[in-house]
Formats: sequence, C-alpha cells, structure tokens
Amino acid sequence: MLFEISEKMIRVLKAFTEPRIATKDIVKEPAHKSPIFRGRHEIKWDVCIGCDACNKICPVDAIKMKPLPLKKPNKVPEVNLAICIFCGLCEDVCPTKPKAIKLSGGDIEMITEGTPEALENFWVRVEIPEEWIEKKKKEEEEKARKKAEMMAKKKAEAEAKKKAQASKAQNESKKSAPAQKGDEK
Amino acid sequence: MERIKEVLNNFDMEYVEDYKPTWVKAKLKNKDDITKVVKALKEVGIRSCSTVSPTDFPEENRMEINYFLEDIVNKKNVWLKVDIDRDLDKCEIDSITPILESADYHELESYSTFGVKFKGHPNLRYFLISRDYYGKFPFRKDFDWEEHEKHLIENVNAIAEEFFEEYEENEKTVGHEDSRTVLHWGPTHPASGPIRLKVYTNGENIEKVEPDIGYVWRALEKLSERKDFIGTIVAVERVCFMDNTNPMICYAQAVEEIAGKEITPFAKYMRVILGELGRTVSHLISMGGFFGTMGLQTFLMWCLDVREYFLDALEDYSGARIATACIEPGGVRYPLNDYKAWFEEINKAIEKWEKTKPDIEDIFLKNPLMTTRAKNKGIFSHEDVIDNYLQGPIARASGVKTDVRIDEPYAAYGELKMDYVTCENGDARDRLEIIYKEINQSIDLIKQAMVKIEEGIEKGEMDPKKDHLVKMPRRMPAGEAVSRVEWARGEMLMHLVTTEKSTNPYRLKIKAPSVNHTRMLEKLIPGHSLSDIPLLYGSMHICQGDLDR
Repeated sequence: MLFEISEKMIRVLKAFTEPRIATKDIVKEPAHKSPIFRGRHEIKWDVCIGCDACNKICPVDAIKMKPLPLKKPNKVPEVNLAICIFCGLCEDVCPTKPKAIKLSGGDIEMITEGTPEALENFWVRVEIPEEWIEKKKKEEEEKARKKAEMMAKKKAEAEAKKKAQASKAQNESKKSAPAQKGDEK
Repeated sequence: MERIKEVLNNFDMEYVEDYKPTWVKAKLKNKDDITKVVKALKEVGIRSCSTVSPTDFPEENRMEINYFLEDIVNKKNVWLKVDIDRDLDKCEIDSITPILESADYHELESYSTFGVKFKGHPNLRYFLISRDYYGKFPFRKDFDWEEHEKHLIENVNAIAEEFFEEYEENEKTVGHEDSRTVLHWGPTHPASGPIRLKVYTNGENIEKVEPDIGYVWRALEKLSERKDFIGTIVAVERVCFMDNTNPMICYAQAVEEIAGKEITPFAKYMRVILGELGRTVSHLISMGGFFGTMGLQTFLMWCLDVREYFLDALEDYSGARIATACIEPGGVRYPLNDYKAWFEEINKAIEKWEKTKPDIEDIFLKNPLMTTRAKNKGIFSHEDVIDNYLQGPIARASGVKTDVRIDEPYAAYGELKMDYVTCENGDARDRLEIIYKEINQSIDLIKQAMVKIEEGIEKGEMDPKKDHLVKMPRRMPAGEAVSRVEWARGEMLMHLVTTEKSTNPYRLKIKAPSVNHTRMLEKLIPGHSLSDIPLLYGSMHICQGDLDR
C-alpha cells in the first residue's frame, strides 16, 4: 500500500521535471526551421555602401533610407516590418560581401501589439554609435586631405614636369642645331 | 493547322503566322469582321475562348484586342488580334459572346477595366471593379491613380450614400409574393470565401444564381506594370496563395521568351519539382475543403497536417512557407547547396502522404454519406466542358483529355513520363476523386524529377550551386509573348507585352481558370436545393484570389 502510494508520488514528481510540449516556446523554437528562413532583417551598417539598390527593388516600398552625415555610406536602409512582405529581393540585390542587408536565417520572433502606434514603430532601425560616425568622419577627412595633398602633389609634379619639358624642349631646340652639326663632323 | 490558316486567309488579314507548335497568330484588319471570323473558326472546331485581353497604346491612339481562342480536343489554338479606336465614344467592337459563350466574363472584365464596349453582349455591365471605379477604366494608361485617390477621399461619403440608397430601393422592390426570396450566400459563409452568390429561391428550390465578385480585387495586372521585371514575381505569386509556384513559372517563361534566353536543364527540373509541390499543397486544401463544405472538418485537418510537410520542403528551399517567391525569370531563385538534405525533406513529406493514403481512401473517398450526397450531382458533359471552357481537374473529371503539361510541354515535363488522369462521370464525386488521383500523379512526377537531377549531378552535367540562374538582360527588348502552364485549378495563361528598353512590363494579362468556373455556377446550381450549394460550390475548387486578381 505504502509502496504503491510512494510509486505514484514519484511518478507525479517525475512528470514535473520532464519537458512538456505545452511549455515549449514555439516563438523561439519552431517545429521546423529552414536554414534560409526569411525573417527579420539584419542590417550591417558598417558594411553598407549606401547604394540605394535595396530601396529601388523593394516591391512594396518598405525600405526607407536613413541619411547619414557621411560621404560613404551617405544613407543606410531601414525597414518597415509592418509593410515588408519578406520576399528577400533586397538581399539578392545587395552588392556587398557579406550582405549588408540580410533576411535569410533571420529571426522568427516578430510580434507586436498591433495597435496603430505599435505598428508605426515596428521597424528595423539602424542605430549607429556616434563614435563610429566621428571616426568615419575623421577618416574621411583624412582621406580627403590626403587625396587633396596627393592631388596637389600630382599637380605640382605635373606642372614641374611640364615646365621641365618645356624648358627641355626649348633647350633641345636651341641645342639641336649645333648637335646636328656635331654629328656631321 | 493548315485548315485554320486557310479559314483565316479568307478574311482581310495583316498577317497569319505560326507561333509555337500549337498556336496560329493572326491580325485582323477590319474590326467589323470579328464575328464572321469567329463563326468560321467555330466551324473548324475552335469552340472555346480562353480570354480577351486589350492592350492600350495611347500614343498611337489605338486599343489592340487579343482574343485567345482554343480547341481543347485537337490542341489547336488561335491568337487573334484586332485594332480598334481608343476614344471612349468609338471604343467598341462586336461581342463574340453569342457565338462563344466562354468569352462572357472576359468581355465584361475588359469593359470594366478598359472601357471597350462589346456591342451585342447579352448583359453588358460593370463587373469585378468596385463602385468608385465605375466609368473610370483603371487599367488604361492615362488613368491617374493619385487623382483617383484624392477623389475617393473627398467623395467617400457620397459613395457610401449611394450604397444605402440602393439598399433602400432593393427593400422596396424585392417583394414578398409567393415563397420567392433572394438569399445572399457568402461572403461570410464558412464555405464561400470572399464571393457572394445572389440565390433566387422558391422555397427550397433554386431558380437563379448570380455571382457577385470583386471582393479581393487588387488590380495585380496593373500593379505589375509599376514594378520591375524581377519585382513582378511577388505580384504574380499573389494570384492565389494555395498554389503559388506555378504562376511564377508562367510569368518567368513569358519574360524568357521575350528576352530570348534558354534556362538550364537543372532549373527546368527544379521548376517541375517546385511546381508539383505547389500543386500538391493546393490540392490538399481543395480536397479537405470539399469535405469542409459538407460540414466535416476532420478531413480538412488531416489534409492540412500532410500539407505542413510539403510546406516544410518549400520552406527549406526558399525560406518561406506560402509566399515563396522562389522562381524568377532566368531559372529558379536559389542555388541548391545541399540537394541531398532537401530531397530527404521531400521524401519525408511523400512518406507522410503515403502513410495517410490508405486511411483517406477507406474513410473518406469510399464514404457512403459523401457518395449518396455527391454521386450524380452536378454532372458536366463533354459539350459543357468545351462550350464553357472548363479546365484542369474539372474538365478531366468529365473525361476530357486536356492538360497543358502534355499538350504544350514546358519546363522539363516533355522528358518525364506522364499521362492524362481522367474520371468518367463528371459529377461532384468525380471532381473530388480527380484531385486525389492528381496528387498521386504529382508525387510520381516529383520522384521522377528528383531521380533525373541526381543522375545529372552524378554525371557532372548539372551543378546545383551554379546552374540555377541564367543572367537576364536588365532592359528587355520590345516584344510580346504568351505562356501557359497547368495550374492547380486549370490552365493559366499570361500575355506579356514589353516596349523597347523597358524595365517594367507594359501590360501583363493574367488569365486564371476560376473565372470560367464561377460563371459555370450560374448553370450548375439552379435546379438543386439550397443544401446542395456548398457541396456543388466546393466541388468546383474555386479560389477568389485568381477569380478577382
């Protein structure tokens, strides 16, 4: 009698510890997950070159380009998930390697409240740290300065070359007559 | 073919030429001859009108009307063109509905969207479009969408008021004599989908049925004109979510024909597999839905269970379960990185189907209740099918041998072994059984295609990682193409027109089978009792997505 009761109790206690299907979170663990599931976008702002191709090809105009105070990229895509149909054309058309905008293998967790305000804020936003922008800006400035320097240098060199050539030509034209004479001798 | 050409040459034609093995393309000079030509063609055996598709050329001030006329039995088709004036007062042509009745709804559609008046049409009315488009003809090139939206917002109250007025008028005019009533079946009926049938009844008996359609009209044909050639696939696949791969195959073929590109054998076999997966997925819903309309939801659940496995296979390839967008002009969209794993997934789905098959046969297909209700109900004869141009499973259930996959082989269907699947009686029960038979056929085709791909890879003829896509030109040359596929519910025809150096389609006409099938309800349901509506309606496998587009 006591044995039976204790056996039952053990069985009940065991059931508590076992993983139960009802408690499985299917939002995070779906029954079937494709390796290239087209889910929530991942936007790599440090790879993006701001070419606007994803915005142009988007069949439902879900992508909006966020302007940046940089030369390259001067804009990065942001996706409105309430409009997006997850066709993945933006990923196909992205020219960078690795892809700057990526859906495949993406997150399946896409739940929002459904109120108009919540839907308005249902975006894949790009948050770029200020330091990165500053750094990039400085880099760009340096690049621009270097380029300007290079250009100036080149220009100066070219001018110097031109001058040298001109003077050479003058010299040659002056020298050419006596040289020919010298050859004849 | 020669006979058709002879008949056409008797009239004043600009040109008569061959187009594909099964088509003759001709252009008529004088629009007044159209009824005579169609009459002469009918005598030769061309008795069905596939669709009527106007193309608008505002710069040349002409409207080109394309008639696609088909002979289902002998597989000879005619593509007839005729120019008419574009001005709204003069934009008219003789109707061919009195001669070929299958043109009925297609002519109404052309009238509502392009404003082409068909003289002599038995009941010319606005159709498909919603009330705010009446008299505006939204598919014309000069239709201003922004202006229309502004107008709609300003006048939304007036439009709503018109509805109320009509409602009040109906209240007065619909009398209560005898036991005659008008019942509205749908759009909220569990079996209907977004369609409304106005059912004129006398007691239990149905006297007349008028389908009222356009509840999910999205103007996909116009939308695709605003997208580029690749972006159009997402508009095209939304024709119907049930079988979403085949419309993309149809569209991609039309684009490839204009660009003059040939796709790789690997892509062709992939299209067969994806197309047949789509067909199976759609047929499983159709089959379950048939019992669902009779009030038995168990079978629907069983079918949806099997369907999940097929959707898993689609998801593994494309990354999405229903809106796959996996076929684009030039081949198929994704490389097959791990083909063995994917085939394993498909085999898993097939295994699941094979496991449920005996149960389905025993419990549902031999179900005595279903048999008593559906046997000998709503029979279509051979003549019905040809005159009303019923297609796909509905036609095959009546024993008509028609299947675009065999008549005009596309993708790799020409290299696979298949035969017409038919039933004999053509009643509601046969229309269920044909679906079951077709799933088995589809699975057989998938297996054959998988073997071919495996062989090709082993021999080194196919490279699943590189062969999937052929590079397509970014800008298309001017041209016109017609492409047909066997869709889950019948023949799908797309007529694509492009202009020189274009980046988007100039005109894309999508012809889907449910239009004719819905028209057939007008003849099918009267004479039966009220309780038969869901059964007969369910047996037609109508989808409103492709009915309205």
